[in-house]
Amino acid sequence: MAEKTIEEVRKFILMVAAKQGWLPTRDESFLEDLAEGLRVNWNRYGYFLCPCRDSEGSREADADVLCPCVYARQDIETYGYCFCSLYWSSAFASSGGVPGGIPERRGRGPTPS
Amino acid sequence: MFDYLEYSKVEGSDERHDIEIYALSTCGFCKRALAFLKERDIAHRFVHVDMVPLELKNKAKAELLERFKVHVSFPFAVIDGKDFLVGFIEADWRKTLLDGEPRRG
Repeated sequence: MAEKTIEEVRKFILMVAAKQGWLPTRDESFLEDLAEGLRVNWNRYGYFLCPCRDSEGSREADADVLCPCVYARQDIETYGYCFCSLYWSSAFASSGGVPGGIPERRGRGPTPS
Repeated sequence: MFDYLEYSKVEGSDERHDIEIYALSTCGFCKRALAFLKERDIAHRFVHVDMVPLELKNKAKAELLERFKVHVSFPFAVIDGKDFLVGFIEADWRKTLLDGEPRRG
C-alpha cells in the first residue's frame, strides 16, 4: 500500500471536516501533530487509526476508531470536539475554548453506528 | 512498574513524585503532557505504548486496568505507584503534580 504524505493527510482531514460539517482544530501546532500522527498510523497499519487510540492489532478490531471514529459525532455534540481534538464544532471554534482530554467512550456501552 | 517495558527516563529537578507516563507517539495530548512535564523540569519516565509489541502492551494495559480499575486511554500517568491521571487536562495535572513544595533532587 502506497505511503501517504503529510499533504495527502491534510487533504483527508479537510475532506472529512467539510463532509461532516466540522472544522479542523484551530490550534495549528496541534493540527500538525495530529496530521503527522495519522500519517504515521497510515504508513504503519495501512489505515487512518485515530492518533490518540492504540491499535488492538487488526483493522477489524480497530474499525470503530478509524478516523473519523464512530464516537466523534457524540463527542463533538457533547464537548465541542472529538476525542483527539482533531475536529471541532463551529460553536466550539467561536467560543475561544481550549480543548482538554475527554472521557473515552470506546469500550463503554454499545458502539454507535 | 513493568519490568518487561523499556521506559525512557527524563531527568528533572522536581522529584516530589515518582511519575510513569504511558503515551502514544502519535497523540497530540500525549505530546502536550510530556511537554508539560519537561517544561516544568519534573522528573519522569515514559513509554510509547504504540511502539511496544502487541502481546506486551496488551499485558501492560490489562495490568493497569486490574490495578486502577479504569479504562486505560492515553496519556495515562501513574503517580507514586498508587494514583493515576488519565487524559491530559492541564489543570488536573497541575493540581496533582505541582501543588505543594517541590522536593529538589
